[in-house]
Amino acid sequence: MNFLIAPVVVAVIAGVLAAAISIVDKIVNNYGPVNISINGGEKIVTLNGGDSLLSSLASQEIFIPSACGGRGSCGACKCQVTSDVGVHLPTELPYLSKEEIEKNIRLTCQVKVKADIDIIIPEDLFNVKKFKSRVKSIRDVTHDIKEVIFDLQGEEINFQAGRYVQLVVPPYDKIKGTTQRAYSMSSKPGDKGVIEVLIRLVPGGIATTWVHTRLKEGMEVELIGPFGDFERSETDAAMVCIAGGSGMAPFKSILYDMFEKGDLDREVWYFFGARTTKDILYMKEMMELDAKWENFHFIPALSEPEEGSNWSGETGMITDVLDNYLKTKIDSGKAREGYLCGSPGMIGACNNVLTANDIPLDKIYYDNFA
Amino acid sequence: MKMTPAMKKAQENMLPGVIIADGFLGDEKISIKDMMVRDEGEMSRAGLDFDEVADRLLYFLTEGQKGLGEPVTVDDKWLIRVVDPRGKLPCPFEDGIFRKISAEIELKSSGEKLLVTDLSIHLLKEHHFIEGIGSQFRLEPELVKRVLFS
Repeated sequence: MNFLIAPVVVAVIAGVLAAAISIVDKIVNNYGPVNISINGGEKIVTLNGGDSLLSSLASQEIFIPSACGGRGSCGACKCQVTSDVGVHLPTELPYLSKEEIEKNIRLTCQVKVKADIDIIIPEDLFNVKKFKSRVKSIRDVTHDIKEVIFDLQGEEINFQAGRYVQLVVPPYDKIKGTTQRAYSMSSKPGDKGVIEVLIRLVPGGIATTWVHTRLKEGMEVELIGPFGDFERSETDAAMVCIAGGSGMAPFKSILYDMFEKGDLDREVWYFFGARTTKDILYMKEMMELDAKWENFHFIPALSEPEEGSNWSGETGMITDVLDNYLKTKIDSGKAREGYLCGSPGMIGACNNVLTANDIPLDKIYYDNFA
Repeated sequence: MKMTPAMKKAQENMLPGVIIADGFLGDEKISIKDMMVRDEGEMSRAGLDFDEVADRLLYFLTEGQKGLGEPVTVDDKWLIRVVDPRGKLPCPFEDGIFRKISAEIELKSSGEKLLVTDLSIHLLKEHHFIEGIGSQFRLEPELVKRVLFS
């Protein structure tokens, strides 16, 4: 029996240590009830401290936009903290400008709630909800973009066309935790019972790989939203819209919303860039809208049309096509505004063309992927 | 082969789900130090220089960005598709943060493809780490030679 003594002693010591760690953890990390005061006391929530500000607010159904779900890799979950929560962490600094640091803007996923805290968030965030949806349909709209429609199962979403939602991806394969990614809604606000998004496959992407390989019709999926501030202005300025790929999403929502509401007097030019005919989505729908709506002009442009495709539309980079239209076809005597959806590179290139054609930066609105 | 504490931490950061979904190690179970020594040999046998490859990859990444999100033909031989999604990724060696930008480089004549990111170029150039066998982003020396220098 002597051979049992050593393992038993080790097991007892390990058990005592584990119990001690557990007790110390409960004492050291027990911050007790704390108050989060939002927007000067407009709303005060009380909860047990110890979690991140992002998670603490989410537990109270207040959702700060976060593209990475709290992993500190997107820099999206910013809010202003007006009480003392210590200095900025090294993990926050890469995502903050000098001005933001001076205003004590923080990444809510990195700030731990240990004591009462005062924060300021946009009023819109009080309208953000978590939806338990069911996948109604999945459809390939190009070889690498899927249109996914989620049924909100009796709930309704109220949003301005141009907003986005966060898709909550459950753990799968080697991915241990949930992941959140932001996608612009392509459904129009009038369709309150569903949310439609367009998701392009990103090589190695956690969420897009899941959508393209695992997501099936009938599955339950959590969505959080609406978020964002991309929307059409309430002016009568001509809208010059530019997108490519899944950047179609917010414009599809905006255009069908305008059409449904009879907002047809406003001039709209929609430039859509793609490489070949197989990269264009909703071509038929956009051409039909163009035919029905006198002031709407859909200008698809292919940078490298396939031989034998009989492409009769514009060719070349979308920025060159845009420049040509701004100089020769879109009335420069009227007010014009730019609307962009795409990567930082695309936004920057289009900004250059628009500003060179006398559309000032403060009249250019964009849904920046980054 | 012995690993420094920094390398051990880097290897932990390379596990699946820590920084990216599939991690950086592929199907390999050996230490990253052993992988790096082996792959330096592989690069040398393929006649490749780390800095030269990094410069070439950066060239394609930069040219691909001119497609503004759509694929673009470069020098008549390569088709480059750059994806620039939201967010940034830290280097597993904890010496920088990189945009999630990635480029798929396809040699049109053969259809062979390489997948490269801002971060994988940094790993190759600064750490001589080309990712483990089985990793989606591994820069396999012989494939790199065929795709980039044909």
